[in-house]
This record gives sequence, structure tokens and C-alpha cells, in this order.
Amino acid sequence: MMDGDLSAGAPRGTARPNILSRLGRLQHYALTETLVGYGLILPSLLVFLVFYYGPAIFLLYISFFHWNIFANRSTFVGIHNFLVLANQPLFWQSLLNTGYYVLLVVPVTTLLALGLALLLREARNIRGGGLSQALVFLPHVTPVVATSIIWAWIFDPNFGLANAVLRWLHLPQIGWLASAHWALPSVMIYTVWHSVGLYTVLFLAGLSTLPKQVLEAAQMDGARGWLAFRRIVLPLISPITFFVILLATITTMQTFSQIYTLTGGPHGGAGGPAFSTTTDSLLIYQTAFLYLHFSLASAMSFVLFVLILAVTLVQKFIADRMVFYR
Amino acid sequence: MGSIKLHTISKKFGQRQVLHDINMEIQDGEFVVVVGPSGCGKSTLLRIVAGLESPSSGDLEFDGRAATHMPAHARNIGMVFQNYALYPHMTVFDNLAFGMTARKSSRQEIQQRISEVADLLEIGSLLKSKPGALSGGQRQRVAVGRALVRNPYMFLMDEPLSNLDALLRERMRVELRRLHDRVRIPTLYVTHDQTEAMTMADRIVVMRDGRILQVGTPDEVYSRPNSVFVAQFLGSPPMNLVRVERRSEASLVLEGSEGTAFPAPDGIRRATDSAWWMGFRPERIIRSHGGASGLAMTASIRAIETLGSRYHVHANWGRFPITWVTPEAPGLMPGSQVALTVSWNHVHWFHRDTEQRVPEDAALDFPVEAGGIR
Repeated sequence: MMDGDLSAGAPRGTARPNILSRLGRLQHYALTETLVGYGLILPSLLVFLVFYYGPAIFLLYISFFHWNIFANRSTFVGIHNFLVLANQPLFWQSLLNTGYYVLLVVPVTTLLALGLALLLREARNIRGGGLSQALVFLPHVTPVVATSIIWAWIFDPNFGLANAVLRWLHLPQIGWLASAHWALPSVMIYTVWHSVGLYTVLFLAGLSTLPKQVLEAAQMDGARGWLAFRRIVLPLISPITFFVILLATITTMQTFSQIYTLTGGPHGGAGGPAFSTTTDSLLIYQTAFLYLHFSLASAMSFVLFVLILAVTLVQKFIADRMVFYR
Repeated sequence: MGSIKLHTISKKFGQRQVLHDINMEIQDGEFVVVVGPSGCGKSTLLRIVAGLESPSSGDLEFDGRAATHMPAHARNIGMVFQNYALYPHMTVFDNLAFGMTARKSSRQEIQQRISEVADLLEIGSLLKSKPGALSGGQRQRVAVGRALVRNPYMFLMDEPLSNLDALLRERMRVELRRLHDRVRIPTLYVTHDQTEAMTMADRIVVMRDGRILQVGTPDEVYSRPNSVFVAQFLGSPPMNLVRVERRSEASLVLEGSEGTAFPAPDGIRRATDSAWWMGFRPERIIRSHGGASGLAMTASIRAIETLGSRYHVHANWGRFPITWVTPEAPGLMPGSQVALTVSWNHVHWFHRDTEQRVPEDAALDFPVEAGGIR
């Protein structure tokens, strides 16, 4: 602010009041700025508190109760719900299913997305390059439930496209969603199809920020193909790779819609044959909304939250050693 | 090591032709500087030699062998980029080692070469740092080291000093040239800075609009520029150019002036043109105290710049602005008149229409007895 403006209230020739009033003004401005700042984030903060953190804390709270929804009565049971979970084989089975699902989907999606991004980058200047990019991204913008129903037809053992392709290739046919062995892999195929476009676009964005002259320098240094990719490209896009793996891990650990729709959605969400597609999120849904064990489901959700947090922290720990930020 | 030859190299980007029939040769051990204003095609030329672009037509020869279609990674050329283009995720050691690893040199050989080059460039203490932690000058050295370490067939340098501050640039200029004198690897150096070109080159190639205008040693190009463009591009402040026209067969006057006539040299006397450019370097002007023979002029001073070691005096001769560089300027001030002379053999003549130099043998063969016409 103007000097004259600040000293206006203070008598001339006395330095102290002048400085004090100036300090007071500065404090006043700082306070105003702070208040305005909080005011600006308040709306979204409220939304988060009411619809996100609030229910999350409530969820942790009710996981320590036995909550009877019909009697509208709850009894504190301590860690009883968690003990029940620990002794329930289906819960462990669901964790195994989730692990199986995540450990296959995440690496496959990441590698496929990276490969597609590299291809699309090479194709960007040729005819149809932009169209291919759009086509790869397209599945991701479709509604999961709608395209899951289409894929349920594709996976139909008798009339589906999937078995038609196998027949055409003279390969043995598969029961797909009807088979305890193949139901979860079928869901994986759908998930990769649906999400790979997003990660491809992320990788494309990462590749487009590669410094051109550094790649040229590598070329002049005699490196090409795999060597240049491994020693130059891969380290330089490592932040994107880390982000993709992190995002893919978190979303696949929470996958629900396609499992529900593809395996038994129409029949009450029972999951694939012999609990073969019962991942933790499906089990949480069944426990809460089929068996109405809200407290138990809350306990499961909390365990899932802790697991995702743990996996994320481990990934972060690894990334801090491997990712290079420019 | 060996020579590099370019035969009628042309390059088109779509409809735009950026290089027209470039012919040049870089001898073994030679330091050639390509200089020209931005957009003259000099960087494209460098990238074609590097193999990062392919020519639309023409041939490239390394040591007598066809190299036009040789891929960049197979050319064994050391290149220094304008922004250095160091590998940001690698230590300086790994930056230097990368090219040798790619060429499958042994670990021991790599160690030894790197320590040699690090000694030469005084970057031994930086080997464990990453590029992000280095200053501009240090990065510059590492970039040179990376190009040098695998003992390349030739060096390409694309405005390597333009990201440095003035003082450092001056120092690196000397160091790069000294390095070249030690290793004698043929070097093609691209710059828009005429000072770099003059100070570093064995030979200068002046380019404009995708064509080579002149090739020669710095002295040749400076003292006998073959066109108005070269005359003005090299030298700071640039050569003074004034328009002159024929008054009679044997005498010329400043264009549009009724004033002093001066004799025309032979080449001009014989030619049929009636209008010319007359040029003279600012530092070739001397103050005349009568008697000195040469081009005489009376100029009125507009402004005087003091540079410490010398003065740039801006003046008008007739209606033409001229610049005079002089180590001392006693008694001069804006508004005053001064009598100046340029010896006839430091006066350059160019055709007005083609802007080409009037051949030396004709122009310099000057009738001395006619010098006195006032």
C-alpha cells in the first residue's frame, strides 16, 4: 500500500506510532487474506466433510458395534467384527481374489498402455493416427454397466463372440463367466479393455514432454531401440509410470461395477461360480445389502482402506528410490 | 578422422526450401564455422550432417565413403547441443559413459577415457553430480566432454555458447578453440554470432536464405566480403555503406549530392552501371590532417559513444550515416565537423543492382594521381 496512506493516521515526526500502525495494517491484511482463503475452500471442504470424511469416520465407528437395522439398536462389541472376519474363510478368499485380480490387471494394463502409447506416438503423424488414439480412449468413456452387459453377451459360452473367436482359431472353448476357473479372468479382460485407454492417454502425455534434444543426443551417442528406451525414455517418463501404477492399483482394488454386472448382477449380485469373483468390494456389498450386516461390512471396508493405504505407501516408498523428477 | 564433403545438398520442408544446393568440404582437423542470421538454414545443415534430418537431394561423404543414408547412431559424430541436452537422470560420469556403453566399450576403457577427458576439461570433481546441480558453464563442459569422450569422427556444435553469459562465453570461446588445437577433430560449428565466427574459425561459411554466400578464412571474408550482405554481417559496428553514382566517366559523387566528386576506379570506369555501393570499415577511417591521399570526406558528428578502449563516432556524410571507430577523440563533440580519410585500398565497391563485389583486380588498380580530385 501507499506510504502516505499508511502513515495518514499517525502524527508526523513520531516514528513509533507510525511503525505500529503500519504493522497493525499489515496484520489486518494478512488476516483478511487468510479469511478469504478459507472462505474460498469452504464449499468444497463442506462437501468433503459431509459426504466423504464424515461417513468414513462413521464407518469406522459402527464397525465396533453390532448394529441391528430393524430394531434400530446398536451394541458396542469392540473388535468382535474384526475377529469374525479373521475367522471367516470367505473373507480371506475375497482378499485372495482381489490380490489375484490386482496383480494381473495392473501390470497387464500398464504394459499394454505403454505399448499402445509408443505405437500411437509413432503413428501421430500418419493418416488415421489421431483416430486410432480416439478409438483406444473410447472404451473408457463408456458406462461400465452398459458395456459390461455387452461383454456378458460376448462371454456367453454358446452364442458369444469370445468362443466364436476360439472356434475360429481351433482352440478349445471356455465357459468364461460360467466357469469358476475363467470367471475372474473374464472380468480382467473387460477391465483391461475399459481402462487401458485412460492410461494410454496418460503415457502419451508423458511421452510428449520428453525433451527432443535429449533423445537426439542419445541417438548421436549411438543408442537406439531398446537401449535408448531402457536408459533414456523409461527413466524420463518414470513419474508418469508411477502415477499410472498407483492409480491403476487403487481403482482395481476397488473394482465393483463390472464384477457385479458381469457375474450375477441380474441374479442378486451373488458373484461368479464357487465365489470365484467374490473380491472384497463384492463381499462388502453382499454383506451390507444382501445380509444387512452393516457393522461387519464396515469392518471389511476399513480393512480394505488400510490395505489400499499400505499398498500405496509401499509403492511410494519404492517410487522415491526409482522415480526421477525433472 | 577425415574429411566431410557435402555435394549439392538441398532440403525442403513441405513447400519451403530451406537449403539450396549446398556444396562444402571440411578438411581433416579443420574448424569450420557456419554463420548467418536466424532462419538461414545453418542448423538444418548441421542436422543433416548429424543424420538427424535427411537431405531432400544431394550427397554426403565421410572420408570418401557415401554417408547420405547412414543412420545417426552409426555416424560416430560428437554433437554439442545449444541447450546441452544432457541426460538429466544420470550422473555426469554416466552421461559421459553412455555413448561408450552403447558402443560396447570395456569398463576399463570407459574409466580411462572418462578420466582423461575429465582432466582435459577440468570436470573431474563433478563426475558424481547430476546435471541439475551444475552451473551453465559446467554443463557446457560436460556436453563437450560427452561428445569428446568416445573419440568421434567429427564434432558438430549447434550454438553451444549462446546460453552462457557474456563473460563465460568469451572464456569458453578461447577454451573450445584451444581444445580443438589439441585434439584436432574436424569441427562444424554453427552460430549467428559473428564474433564467434571470426575468433574461432579456420574457415567461415556465411549463409543466408539457405545459400552459401561466401567461404574463406576470417581474414579473407572480413577484408574481401563478396557481397553487401557479408560486408555488413561480419564486423561490429558493421561496414559503412554509401550510395554513389556516376557524374562523369571518371568521377563519382554521393547519391543525390552536388558536392565533392571523387575518382572512379578502373573496374567502375569500364562498367556500364551508373550506381554503386561504396563501403569502408569504421576502423579504417582516420582523421585527416591534410595531405593524406584516399577517400576524403567531411562529416558532421551526431553522437559519440564511449567504450573505454575506443569511441564510436556516429556522423553524417552528406545524407548518409557513417560510423567511425577511433581510439581517441580529442576535441570532438556532437554538432562539430570533422575531416576524415580512408585509404583507397580499404574502400570496397559493390554493384548496386546485384549487391556483388566489384572484382578486386579492377577496383584496387586505382589511378593514384587522380586521388587528389577534391
